[in-house]
Order: sequence, then structure tokens, then C-alpha cells
Amino acid sequence: MKKKSPLNRLGVHGSLLILVAWSILPFVWTFQTSIKFTRDVARKEPVLWGYETTSNAYNAFWLDDDEINMLHVLWFIVAFAILAALVGFIGRMIANGPGDKTLRNLALSVGAVGLVGLAFAAPRLADDELTTVNNRAILAFLALVVTLLVAGLVMMRTQGPPGGLANALRVLVLGAVIVALARVLQIHVSERDQWSMWETESSGWNAAGIVVAAIVFGLIPLMLAVAMLRARHQSWPYFTGVGIILGIGFWWFPRVFEVNDEFDFFINSIVVTVLTMIISISIGLLAGYGLARYTGISGAVILIVALGFRALPRTAFVLPYFFGAQRLGILDSRLVIVMALVAINQPFTIWMFRTFFMDVPKEMEEAAMMDGASRFQAFRKIIIPIMWPGIIATSLFTMLLAYNEFLFVRVLAPTNWTLPVAIVSLTGGESSRTITEAAAASVSITLPIVVVIILFQKHLVKGLGAGAVKG
Amino acid sequence: MTRRTFWAFTVPSVFVMLVLMVVPLATTIWLSLNQLLLRDINNPTWVGLDNYSEVLSDPEFWASLRFTLLFVAVTVPSQMILGLGIALLLDKVVRGRAFYMAALLLPFIVTPVVGSLIYKDLFERGGLLSWLWELLTDEAFAVTASNVRWLIIIQAIWFVTPFAMITFFAGLQTLPTERSEAAAIDGAGYWRNLWHVILPHLRVLLLFVALISIMDAYRVFDSVFVWAGRRFTDAHSLQVYNVRVATDPNIGRLGKGFAIAVLNVIGIFVVLIPFLWRSYKDQIRERT
Repeated sequence: MKKKSPLNRLGVHGSLLILVAWSILPFVWTFQTSIKFTRDVARKEPVLWGYETTSNAYNAFWLDDDEINMLHVLWFIVAFAILAALVGFIGRMIANGPGDKTLRNLALSVGAVGLVGLAFAAPRLADDELTTVNNRAILAFLALVVTLLVAGLVMMRTQGPPGGLANALRVLVLGAVIVALARVLQIHVSERDQWSMWETESSGWNAAGIVVAAIVFGLIPLMLAVAMLRARHQSWPYFTGVGIILGIGFWWFPRVFEVNDEFDFFINSIVVTVLTMIISISIGLLAGYGLARYTGISGAVILIVALGFRALPRTAFVLPYFFGAQRLGILDSRLVIVMALVAINQPFTIWMFRTFFMDVPKEMEEAAMMDGASRFQAFRKIIIPIMWPGIIATSLFTMLLAYNEFLFVRVLAPTNWTLPVAIVSLTGGESSRTITEAAAASVSITLPIVVVIILFQKHLVKGLGAGAVKG
Repeated sequence: MTRRTFWAFTVPSVFVMLVLMVVPLATTIWLSLNQLLLRDINNPTWVGLDNYSEVLSDPEFWASLRFTLLFVAVTVPSQMILGLGIALLLDKVVRGRAFYMAALLLPFIVTPVVGSLIYKDLFERGGLLSWLWELLTDEAFAVTASNVRWLIIIQAIWFVTPFAMITFFAGLQTLPTERSEAAAIDGAGYWRNLWHVILPHLRVLLLFVALISIMDAYRVFDSVFVWAGRRFTDAHSLQVYNVRVATDPNIGRLGKGFAIAVLNVIGIFVVLIPFLWRSYKDQIRERT
């Protein structure tokens, strides 16, 4: 028997669509502003038509050099991602045998998309204005394709558990070999006689730089794609490998493309977010487990005190941090921001982990301990592997907190900002740049978080549910 | 689990909270009793309760308190009613649920200052809503000292509602269908079913969301900072007022800032103590 509702199906969907419109309206408006001709600061009225063909506002926000267009960078990344996915799909298909029709179709369609993308990207790379860069770009692109194919082959040939230490090492070694190759190539291509690969003042595009950037940006999506396809449980060495490669990527990027200060803020954001996540998750995980299994009174006291801390206004912490950091001379450093974020996030983390651990039956580790494992071994070998959903959910919330934090960074870092503070400081007040650029900045800052959330939406919803239903 | 193992597992976290939360809190209380200026940060001098009496006679403090209370009083009920409504709607749809959820969650996950900036841009000159307003009324819409408070509140409802929505939605998934069905057989209409079956089922969650959202609304900072900034200082919330008093180079009264922080802590604890006490008793009951 169905519940009678005051709304029929049309009504339900209609109301939901209105609500969706209400919730995404500012995003849509900002996005379309970001790709328009510059709306001048006087803002007489909105420019309703007149979109630019290339997104100069993004260039203005991220890049310093007019010669280099953000679209080229984007095309590189998109093309690499597609290629990587293609290689990954083919690898998966070979691993599963040819009978797997869905995957084959998927691989074919992705391949087709990739080819279209390449066809689309090639003329852009060969833009007239970029004749000086042209040859280098094409060279880089060819190098990239070769890299991907080789890397894909290596991945496919790898035996044993996917994403293991061996795999990560192989990718690293491969990367090193290609960097060396690029160096050799560069000597032949470069007109300059003396050029050090480690030179930091090098201007803009040069072949080796492009090749390395290409490899770096190609390998990340490649590894991610392969790992997502092949592995259910990724191991730590794998993540370490990805981390190292990401690190190299971020270290190289500013040297390949001339970038604005915003890129430093971006790096700050990444460093702060990742460090906060790692530290807060690892200590929170241990504490959450202890609190879920221990039945003494001190456990209850810790939980309640943590709950109280969770509720306190932030100023009660940010001001003493400011005072202490000033005294210790660590104001304006990433260290103090990470410390502060780990601390204010800790109460929430232990509560959330405790909730997740309460769902894991005690018998699981007790059985292992009967067989002679220690408590910690049982925790590491039995409990952690089934805790991945909980870890992912908690990490997501930690990531949101660290990436979005405004007050702490603003007070504790007078110049060494992260992105949220950077955007407010750049767009507010008298130093206002054009609205279009502010919109481009907003979109650039929002995009990473939106992508992550869309990928992990299920975990996020589950985490909120878990925290709420029992908390 | 033995006491020793328990401490082995919890020590890192407890240490972090002790050093990075208890110590700063103690510092806050101690420094609130001192005269401390931003430009002379190394020389706190003991002044007793002077900071407190100064704060309590500061009209700006009362203005910011009034605005914060207004903010809590409007956003919390609105977000709960709207959130419940959306959750009930979402519960009805099967096809497209993931899409609706993702779109409706966006305001919640977006960086708060960016959310405020882009929302504000709709109302600024040349923004979409401001332009529509001008078409309708022939008058340019401008953010002014008199309407900025309500704009802040409207935008806050926009970004806090998804939290209530998703929590209530999770709660609705655990509602056994038999109960609603039984109610329907007994002839209960939609609204009676909502009142007598669904709401009692969500009772704990309603309390939980109310509590969390009161806490979060009470300490609102980011959006107020973006909207009001230096332009409309009388639309500042307690937190913005607090940070401005302490760290604005033109004011720089750190000691007074610490006193405001302590008053803020006391304010939220008045609401919180009964709840903490209840959770403590729950915890004890769980253990015996």
C-alpha cells in the first residue's frame, strides 16, 4: 500500500528541480561570468552575451605569461587522462581475458573519445601564435604517447598484487629513465649551449621541461586509472608512489609554465590539506579504535571532553595560537597551520572513527588474537582492511575542513596564504581585479573539491549518516 | 581491552588535544586577564577583570551579540524545516536521486568564502539578481547596511540546509516501511503519518541537527566576513567582531579579544552543558 502524498510524481520532481536551481544558481552564474569578456569593475550591468573563445580570465589568475594559454595546459591534462584511462582499460581487458564485453566496449568508446580529443587538441597545440613553441609541444606530445604506451605495457606485465611496492618502484624507475631520455633529447633540441636541468630561472617553455611535465601529468592519471581498475585494496607503497610523483609534478609545474603567485597558494593548500589528513587520520584512527573497545570510565571522559571542544568557538583557539606562534617565531609557516587544523579536527575524527569501529564485531580481532596475534597486529591486519569506507569518509571531511579553512589561515598566515584566503584578499577591497578574473578564481578553487566529492559522494553521505544516526 | 593497551592507542590523540587544545584554552583564560596590545605583544600586564568590564560596556559587542542571536534564531529553524522537506522529497524519488543529491550538496561542500563571494556577486551591481531587480522595480539593487544582515541570513540558509537534508535523509532510510503502512491502513493521511510516525522516528536526529546547527551558527565567521568585511561593521557576528578587535592593526586589542573569546565560550556552554551531561550519562550506561 502506498503512502498518499500531497504531491504527485511531477510535483516531487518539479519541486526538487526548483530546489536544485536555487542551490546551483550562483555556481552557474559564476561559471558563465568566468568565460565572458571582462566585465569591468564599474559593473554597470551584466554582459549577457559575448563569450570569449579562450578563457583568458583563467590565464590571468594562474599564469603570468600571455604566450602560454591555460587551454593548452588543460588540453595536455585532459588528453593525458584520456590516454591513461584507455591504457588502463586495455590492461584490465587483457587481464580479464577477451570475454569481458562490457569492458571492451568501454575501452573502445574511451579510445574513440581519446582520439577525438587528440584530433581536437592537435590543431590547438599547433596554433599560429605558438610557432616557437609548436615543435617542442609536438615533441613533448609524442614523448608522452610513447611513455604512456610503455608504462601501460609495464603495468600489464606486472604480476602479483596490483599496486604493490614492485609496481610503484617500476613506475618510478620508468619515470627516471624517461627524465634521463628527455635530458638527452633536450641537448639535441635546445639551441642554447648551456642549460642546466635544475636551473630554476629558466624561462617558460623548453623541451625538457615540457617532456618532464608531460610525463608527470601523464603518469598520475595513468596510475590512478590503472589502480582504480585493477585494485580493490590499494596498499601504502602505491600511495607513496603516487605521492612522490605528485610532489615532483608540483615541483616542476611552476618551472615549466610561468605561473602567478596563486600557484604558491595552491601548493600551500595542497601541502596543508594532505599533511592535515595524514596526521589527523593516523592518530585519530588509533584513538577511535581504543575508545570503541575500552570500557573504562576514562574513555567516556575523553569522549565528552572532545565533544565539548568540538563545540567551542574557533576564536578561543585561534587567538592563543596567534600569540604562541608569534612568540615562537613560527607565524606564517605551514607548520603552525597544520598543527592548528589537526588539533581542531581531532575531536570530530575520534568520534567518527569510534562510530565506525563500533560497527565492527569484537569477535573479528578476538579470533586473530586467539591465534597468537598481538592486539596491534590484529588491528592492523584484520580491522584496518575492513575499515576503508570509514577511513575514506573521515578523510573526506578532514579534507573539506583543511581545504576550506579560512579563519585560522587568515590569522596565522599574514602572507603565506592558502587559496580561500588568497581569493578573498585578491577580490575584496580596493585592489579588486576584474570580476571575470574573480569568477575564474572561484571556479578554479571549487573544481578540485567538487571532483573529489562527486567521485566519493557515496562515502560522504554514508559518513554523514553514520555520524548522525548514532552520534 | 586492558587499560594499558587503551592508553597505548589513545596517547597520541590525547597528547595532541592536551597540548593543542587544553593549553591554548588555558592561555586564553589567563591572557583575558591581561592588557595585551598587538604592537606590543611580548608584554602582557595584569589588569584583572578590566577587559571584561570594557567588553560588556562596548555597544559593538552587544550589536554583534544581537546579530548572532538573530542569525541563530532564523537559520536554525529554517534549515531544519527546509532540510526535512527536501529529505522527504528525496525519499520519494528513485530515479535521479544521485543527481539531485550531488546538486543539492554543492553549497555545503564548496569553500565557504567562495560560496559567499559567488552568492554576493548575484546581488552586486551587474549580478543576475540585482539586474532582475532593476528590471522589475527600475531601481538599482545595492547591498546596504540595512539589508546586508538579511542577505547574510539568506545565504546562510542556502549553505547550511544540505547538512540537515542529508542527515534527515539518512534517518528516513532506517524507517521501517511497515509502520507507515500500518498507519495508512488505519486511515492516516499524509500529514498525520508525518506527524505521528515519521517525526517521532527522527526525534533523536532532530535534536542532533538542532544542536550541531546552533553550535555552527553561533560561531559563524566566513560568510559574515565576506559580506560585511570592513564596509558594514555593525553587521558583524560575535566571531568577526572578536577577530577584528584582536587582530585588526588599527585596533589590535589582543587582551580584550581574549576576554571576548572567553565570553563566547561561556555563552555556548550554557546551551551545551545539559547535552554534554546527557551524553556523558549515555556513555556511562553503555559501559555498565
